[in-house]
Amino acid sequence: MKYAVKIEVSLKPGHSNPEGETTARLLVELGFSVEAVEVSKVYKVVLEASSMVEAEQKAQEMSSRLLVNPTKDDYTISVAERK
Amino acid sequence: MKLLIKRPTQSVIEVQLATATSAQLADINSELSLGLSVEELEVVQTYFRRENRNPTDVELQAISQAWSEHCCHKTFKGKIKIGDDQTINSLFKTYIAKATKQIDAPWCVSVFEDNAGIIKFDKGQGVAAKVETHNHPSAVEPFGGAATGVGGVIRDILGVWADPIACTDVLGFGPLDYDYSKLPAGVKHPKYVYMGVTAGISTYGNNMGIPTVNGAIYFDDSYTGNVTVFCGCVGILPLSKYAKNAQAGHILVLAGGKTGRDGIHGVTFASTELTEKSEEIARPAVQIANPIEEEKLKRAIVEIRDRELGSAITDIGGGGLSSAVGETAERFNCGVAVDLEMVPLKYQGLAPWEIYLSESQERMLLTCTPQNLEAVLAVFAKEDVTATAIGKLIDERRLKLSYQTELVSDIDMELLFSPPQSSKTACIKTPQFTEPNLPQPSNLTEVLLQLLGAPNIASKESVIRTYDHEVKGNTLLKPLQGDYAGPNDAAVLKPLDQSLKGLVISCGMNPNYGKIDPYWMAASAIDEAMRNNIAVGGRRIALLDNFTWGNPEKPERLGSLVRACEACYDYAVMFKAPFISGKDSLYNESPLGPITPTLLITAVGIIPNIEHTISMELKKQDNPLYLIGKTYPELGGSEYYKLNGHLGASVPKVRGGKAKQTFKAITKAIDQGLVKSCHDLSEGGLAVATAEMAFASGLGLSLDLQKVPTQDIERDDFVLFSESNSRFLIEVADADTAEFEKLMQGKGCVRIGKVTKEPKLHIKGLNGQTIVDAPLDVLRQRWKKTLNPKETE
Amino acid sequence: MNPQDIKVCILRAGGTNCDAETQRAFQELGTQAHTLQVSELIKHRNLLDYDVLVFPGGFSYGDYVRSGVIFARHLSAHLDKEIQSFIDEGRPILGICNGFQILVEYGLLPGFEGISPVPEAALTTNEPAGFKCKWVYLKQENQGRCLFTSSIPQGKVIRLPIAHGEGRLLFPKEKEETLLKRLVEEDMLVFRYCTKDGQPANGQYPTNPNGSFYDIAGICNPEGNIFGLMPHPERALYWWQQPNWTRQNQMLQYGDGKHIFQSIIDKLTKT
Repeated sequence: MKYAVKIEVSLKPGHSNPEGETTARLLVELGFSVEAVEVSKVYKVVLEASSMVEAEQKAQEMSSRLLVNPTKDDYTISVAERK
Repeated sequence: MKLLIKRPTQSVIEVQLATATSAQLADINSELSLGLSVEELEVVQTYFRRENRNPTDVELQAISQAWSEHCCHKTFKGKIKIGDDQTINSLFKTYIAKATKQIDAPWCVSVFEDNAGIIKFDKGQGVAAKVETHNHPSAVEPFGGAATGVGGVIRDILGVWADPIACTDVLGFGPLDYDYSKLPAGVKHPKYVYMGVTAGISTYGNNMGIPTVNGAIYFDDSYTGNVTVFCGCVGILPLSKYAKNAQAGHILVLAGGKTGRDGIHGVTFASTELTEKSEEIARPAVQIANPIEEEKLKRAIVEIRDRELGSAITDIGGGGLSSAVGETAERFNCGVAVDLEMVPLKYQGLAPWEIYLSESQERMLLTCTPQNLEAVLAVFAKEDVTATAIGKLIDERRLKLSYQTELVSDIDMELLFSPPQSSKTACIKTPQFTEPNLPQPSNLTEVLLQLLGAPNIASKESVIRTYDHEVKGNTLLKPLQGDYAGPNDAAVLKPLDQSLKGLVISCGMNPNYGKIDPYWMAASAIDEAMRNNIAVGGRRIALLDNFTWGNPEKPERLGSLVRACEACYDYAVMFKAPFISGKDSLYNESPLGPITPTLLITAVGIIPNIEHTISMELKKQDNPLYLIGKTYPELGGSEYYKLNGHLGASVPKVRGGKAKQTFKAITKAIDQGLVKSCHDLSEGGLAVATAEMAFASGLGLSLDLQKVPTQDIERDDFVLFSESNSRFLIEVADADTAEFEKLMQGKGCVRIGKVTKEPKLHIKGLNGQTIVDAPLDVLRQRWKKTLNPKETE
Repeated sequence: MNPQDIKVCILRAGGTNCDAETQRAFQELGTQAHTLQVSELIKHRNLLDYDVLVFPGGFSYGDYVRSGVIFARHLSAHLDKEIQSFIDEGRPILGICNGFQILVEYGLLPGFEGISPVPEAALTTNEPAGFKCKWVYLKQENQGRCLFTSSIPQGKVIRLPIAHGEGRLLFPKEKEETLLKRLVEEDMLVFRYCTKDGQPANGQYPTNPNGSFYDIAGICNPEGNIFGLMPHPERALYWWQQPNWTRQNQMLQYGDGKHIFQSIIDKLTKT
């Protein structure tokens, strides 16, 4: 079975977020009223797994072994079947 | 009648050219986006009538690329008619190449014939230099356009087997505070373009590990619709390994990134005016940069060079494979047979002509003997770079392309490389401008502060620091000098571990002068590039010319181009500084109008011993300061007039004979160790140059304008802000003054003041009263504030 | 051991770009330094033939995912055992800029309890954001544990250039205080950004150029044999690389960067 896994990696709250802050400042400069900008990365992974649960497990493993640095990152995983 | 017929068994289209009428030729032209004129298509038609068949789309596309402005420089190599009686047969030959030929410098190794100019350096090594324009792509996608501009010029350097050691970039933007509501549709805001372009340049250079060491940022209204991006690169190569001995039987190897639809028709796009629709049309013309791929490619190429495995090399840039393959065959007087199916693709579905024209980035074309093929492929494999043999050079002078076992192109090389010479009309206008009636302001300190904050003079530190200018560890004179980040005149590199010889890179550009007179603009750009080079210790200077102009079909635009070329010839010969490479970007027009004609001159010099390199900041209290070169009432096109909303007429001229003497004397003084610091005078004149020398060091200056050698000036503001060319400020140690003055006798060299401990700039005017009195930190703050809000400490 | 017997392995991958000048620095000081492509090391060489392992600066693998992580994971997938033995034997490892990022992502630094399976720290986006190339002042804070700074007296201020966009060292917010305490107690602090006269930056830009926690520019592991720093000592080796050399009448032959290479060579030659 093919699954499309979405792993979104974002900055843990509490850490400063210079990329978001810079972007926010510019948007304000362009006349938008913006309070805050958060930047996150989304990985869309297509993989083979026997079940939804297994697909999610694999995504967890990918996150902890490569995609996420727990020092600063939070992440969420969503899984869908891929037609 | 159906003009395009798809052949049943093939993925090519047969174009019904042989029987087409003039009107149908125009239809074919637009249907296939060939960018050819009807007259040119008629030449093609005649050829195929003689061959007794219709062409394929692949053949027509190949011809259209080979004949494009970008590839064969129709304007520079074509005929130009001026008035009834004057005809210039090739601007390039008449002015640029002629100067080089006449100078006949023994240290020129290869000029104008390869991807980059090559000059001798030291210990059997040569220096390769090239500057490219990437204006149109940067207008559509600033980040990607600029990044691929850098990537492209680095490949030009790899394309002469040289190892790239430094990049330069000169950029032109509209005013950053441009009113959003005045932007026409399809034109991006200068601020957005500025951020994207500078980020693109830093990303590519930094990722590849090539220091970006020299450049300039210039603001002009006309750049709002036509961003100007000049990307330069210099490299170093052992001259004995400059292999160019390909012959029939040698294999063509395509190396680097895979091929997709990227940038197809980029070449024809580059020679079209930008319109509101450009964004739509241009989308496929935007390329995605991958500097890491090119970094690996570079490693492999340098190894192949060192092991002498290749017989020729060229980069794949504008026109894609079509240019690279055709030019390689032409250069070695061969024909070529290529199997387009061998080209590694990013995705399926590309038509043969798309494979042949694709401008996908980070690709190079090499040739090698069949015996060396395996070794060449192994080097690429080691660096994790895809490389494929796609064909070979053949004796028969034909361009033979096959796809799925069928021949999709079989035409004479001759046809590709003898485009009909174009003929254009130029009209040379005598400039009609007047001097403004400008009363002298009462507070000249305030004027100086405003000038220091003017965008063209203000510190570019916030941008320069995003470029890694020290990677490779060979940058010994950096773009920003000392603790206070003063503006050095040129960059100096030490390219060879085993040699103390330095390479000096500088540039000159004065677009504002061109609004008054393109001839003096070009002369001034050459003078500025030269004096920037000389100020830090450079000599034996080679020049590179880059023209960014409007539509040359318009006689007045072409006329100004002719005038600029005349000056290029006159002053290159005068200074014995040959042109070694150049590039033009024409058709820079947008809904906001044409670009201000812009000539960038890049100067590459040498310094025999890097220990003699001179930086621009003041060194020691009580040292005298000298001004060399006369100041004339030349305020036309100056930053001072601009500040007051004027252009003026009195554009700075170059008095070549005098300038040459000055240059020589300064080099001599530097070699004798008499120069402690040196700075050239440019935008903002004497006042700005002295302020920069002072606030870069923390030491003050006290000057007396009565001492300044002038001609026909009786106003303090004109002495302070005139932009007369060929002038330098030199700090000399107190003990060396006698020797220095003797050396400078007759060169218009006068002691105008001295270095003070008190950190301020103090200037006495022509009547002996104080006219400028400002603390250095105030001057420095104003200089830094405009573009570096974060850096003002 | 003589300097010429010391074998230095400078490891590069696609996008590494400071290997040549790093190799030059080690060679200048008399050692044998070899630059190896990582696949060459994995396939054809033995890491344990080398005395020093160096990760030079650059943008390995385009800095995708996070700076340094792909190089680190690629290496650990293939050479985990060799690296472990290399460290267990106390052989020195140096990471400069991207190399420091690799060491952190590998779990080698700070390495409170040896190699950590997940990174214990992060080197992330500068604050203010953006790549920055400039010279900075650094105070040597190490009391003697770090093998790479043994010839620089504690408290001495040196000058090196930085060139990075992601050099802000950070720890998990909730552990900051405890971990800082350990860094100090176990003598793992090496360089901190400071003013010209050695005053702490206190997080203030531009003295602290990237917002790094506690102004940290370089740390070592508790054993002192693994050292990572964001600044580039290989760009501060010769006199003519110094930013102010044109101001000096009498130029020293070498710049401050030399001490870092010399320290490790001295350590190895004395044992």
